[in-house]
Amino acid sequence: MLLEVRDLHVEFHTRDGVARAVNGVSYGVDAGETLAVLGESGSGKSVTAQTVMGILDTPPGRITGGEVLFEGRDLLKLKEEQRRKVRGAEMAMIFQDALSSLNPVLTVGDQLGEMFTVHRGMSRKDARARAVELMDRVRIPGARERVKQYPHQFSGGMRQRIMIAMAMALEPKLIIADEPTTALDVTVQAQVMELLAELQRELRMGLILITHDLGVVADVADRIAVMYAGRIVETAPVHDIYQAPAHPYTRGLLESIPRLDHKGRELYAIKGLPPNLTRIPSGCPFHPRCPMARDVCRTDVPPLYEVSPRRGSACHFFRECLDA
Amino acid sequence: MPEQPYEPERAVAGTGMGGQMDLGASEAATLTPAGPEPAGPQERPRSLWSDAWHDLRRNPVFLISALVILFLIVISLWPSLIAPGNPLQCELSKAQDGSRPGHPFGYDGQGCDVYTRTVYGARTSVAVGVLSTLGVAVLGSVLGGLAGFFGGFWDSVLSRITDVFFAIPVVLGGLVLLSVITSNTVWPVIGFIVLLGWPQISRIARGSVITAKQHDYVQAARALGASNSRLLLRHITPNAVAPVIVVATIALGTYISLEATLSFLGVGLKPPSVSWGIDISAAAPYIRNAPHALLWPSGALAVTVLAFIMLGDAVRDALDPKLR
Amino acid sequence: MGRYVIRRLLQMIPVFIGATLLIFLMVNVMGDPVAGLCGDRECDPATAAQLRREFGLDQPVWRQYLTYMGNVFTGDFGTAFNGQPVTELMGTAFPVTVRLTVVAIVAEIVIGITLGVITGLRRGRPVDTAVLVLTLVVISVPTFVTGLLLQLLLGVKWEWIRPSVSSYAPLDELIVPGLVLASVSLAYVTRLTRTSIAENRRADYVRTAIAKGLPRRRVVTRHLLRNSLIPVVTFIGTDVGALMGGAIVTERIFNIHGVGYQLYQGILRQNTQTVVGFVTVLVLVFLVANLLVDLLYAVLDPRIRYA
Repeated sequence: MLLEVRDLHVEFHTRDGVARAVNGVSYGVDAGETLAVLGESGSGKSVTAQTVMGILDTPPGRITGGEVLFEGRDLLKLKEEQRRKVRGAEMAMIFQDALSSLNPVLTVGDQLGEMFTVHRGMSRKDARARAVELMDRVRIPGARERVKQYPHQFSGGMRQRIMIAMAMALEPKLIIADEPTTALDVTVQAQVMELLAELQRELRMGLILITHDLGVVADVADRIAVMYAGRIVETAPVHDIYQAPAHPYTRGLLESIPRLDHKGRELYAIKGLPPNLTRIPSGCPFHPRCPMARDVCRTDVPPLYEVSPRRGSACHFFRECLDA
Repeated sequence: MPEQPYEPERAVAGTGMGGQMDLGASEAATLTPAGPEPAGPQERPRSLWSDAWHDLRRNPVFLISALVILFLIVISLWPSLIAPGNPLQCELSKAQDGSRPGHPFGYDGQGCDVYTRTVYGARTSVAVGVLSTLGVAVLGSVLGGLAGFFGGFWDSVLSRITDVFFAIPVVLGGLVLLSVITSNTVWPVIGFIVLLGWPQISRIARGSVITAKQHDYVQAARALGASNSRLLLRHITPNAVAPVIVVATIALGTYISLEATLSFLGVGLKPPSVSWGIDISAAAPYIRNAPHALLWPSGALAVTVLAFIMLGDAVRDALDPKLR
Repeated sequence: MGRYVIRRLLQMIPVFIGATLLIFLMVNVMGDPVAGLCGDRECDPATAAQLRREFGLDQPVWRQYLTYMGNVFTGDFGTAFNGQPVTELMGTAFPVTVRLTVVAIVAEIVIGITLGVITGLRRGRPVDTAVLVLTLVVISVPTFVTGLLLQLLLGVKWEWIRPSVSSYAPLDELIVPGLVLASVSLAYVTRLTRTSIAENRRADYVRTAIAKGLPRRRVVTRHLLRNSLIPVVTFIGTDVGALMGGAIVTERIFNIHGVGYQLYQGILRQNTQTVVGFVTVLVLVFLVANLLVDLLYAVLDPRIRYA
């Protein structure tokens, strides 16, 4: 395994009490593999990613348990200076909103080149040349001229390509992409996703793709991890999930996508609201919204049952769910 | 200062949460003119103010400064409550003497009782502060509000006039205008402060009226055919008044400070008026032998200005939804 | 850019005329300019009438203003109460006040921004609270009180500095007066920097910089500071004019013979030409400083483009 997250716990101290954002998340990614992490906002998918990257704000955030094993060493035990050298060089992150994620007052060339001057000790001139190469590689036309421009002078799609270029700069082993296409126009989304997948194949990187777009997932992901209230509720190879979800929450997510072959039928929506993280329901956190909930769901927290060798579900009644 | 509550969701989502108004919003307002009049106009100010009051009652900074101000108002109305003496009765033989029983602050260079004069000095400061602020607030918000609401030619004229006033250093203006006035009342000083102070409030009022004018519910009310005067009184004023109140409260403190400065320079109030500025100015030459004559009125002045500035700060924190 | 500068220069003209006219009218309302010319005694009517004609004071005010401004643009600022040309007074007074203002601005930049960055990065910690309370106190205590207190403590009690500055006002003697002049603005700079840093600290691009594996120092100086200082630079720039105009109080306390001193004398002696002349220059300084700030803004923030 390239990256293995084991039983991670993260909480936030807020005025309303302790918000348990991540409650025992475990997942892994191999080199060259794409793991899609699905979930509503507040499900803990981004907090988990930030913890892996080591960019979680602490305080107010606090890591209360677990391990983040990257090529076998626990990143959470590293000193900040060692951790910093991993960031950007060995694992990189792509954020959702490229406009606000790029520094508005520095040229894109400076921001790309910084990766080489800081991590590789290159001269500014060499770094600038590498920045142009990178921009060529993510297919930004006229890279040589545009390297001197500022982020606001690029279109949304081009800005996201710059973010991708920045993440790829040092050919890291792992990329975490946090909703990389959500802020883009639909037509541009596909191009950016394609570019990301292509670069991943070429460099054989592990990719964690955080999203709530099931369409994107089906195209590029190898495995899926579905998160709810800071837990993984289902994890499986992508085809298995689309064939038959083993958790009522996953099924709810799949049924809420509009589909052409179901035209005319009423769209399904998961009832209720995502749980308040300061007061997570007892037992299975999904029980108040679950159509299959029974008494045991209110009292017993379901473990991640093994459905098949590469598949797990945190539902007491996953068999019923599979058959439904 | 109260730390703003941390919301993990906001940090996780990481998108620009500050997005306030855009063209889409005003479009929406004109697209749905048939909708019911939004609850905004009546609901919004009330909840804004009651929310603010809810916060303020729990804010120790607000409570302390409000108590100090209440105390100041009481002693400026009835100074004899705590100071039985006469501030103008002085005995040269006791000049520069220190603290005596019944005369806790000692005597100044003229042998006047520093305690009595300090208590009586509050009246001048409070009168100048409150009356100038009232004048400035009324003149400034009427001119600025009308200019902001109607825009066009008079708005540009007003903007240029405020530019002119901002270019003139205040203390200098005070020296020039007040140097020939021999009146012993507070009115020339108040008149001067209103004359030079209104552009500040007018700018704030103009800005907040322009912002309020663009709000959905104002656009909707306009689309429903509300008259200008109704728009201005019912819909815009309640929303534009908060920033004016905040700036005016803080300005009140600075006006008190300005009066003292002008009196110190010998052009504000003149003896036999009682003012902290006069007393500080008079005590300056005896600074070596009778520092108490300087320190007591200085302390009273500082506490008074501080109380008003802190009150304004607390009110601003409570009214500014962005800081919550 | 060039067109923007020209447009701004054109916009400055009405403000300049308005401000100088306002001060001209105020000085005229202030009293008889001739009264001050015969020393402390009153002028006898004949001399007064002659002086009036000589200075063109029998003309209507608007014509006096035009004549005066015409002279100003040929470099003639008129005559001070002691018979010296006003330009000569300016030649001695402005360098002193400029030095004082430079001390104040340097203090604002060095102390204000440093404190603001420290507190902004440590919001809610004891350092932050302490500095915040301190800034509130400094803002609340009027400058003349701060000046008198520092003079009392440092000059009289502990004798670290000279309580009054010598006539040629060397830079080292201007340090404490410069701090006094800067005090209130310095507190504002601290608070402004603090707010700005604290706001930008959670910005997405700062998170990106951390995710890129940049050292903390580089994240702060290159990414966070550059963005956070834009409003601070604006404030300090506009403050230049205000400091020079406000130096009158500080100069009086420490007996510094700068612009404020000359203006004070001019007002006491009711010398129109001194007062209007000095104020005209101050207004110009204020307007030019504001223009420079606006241009600097475009350099600091590439998103701003002037058309």
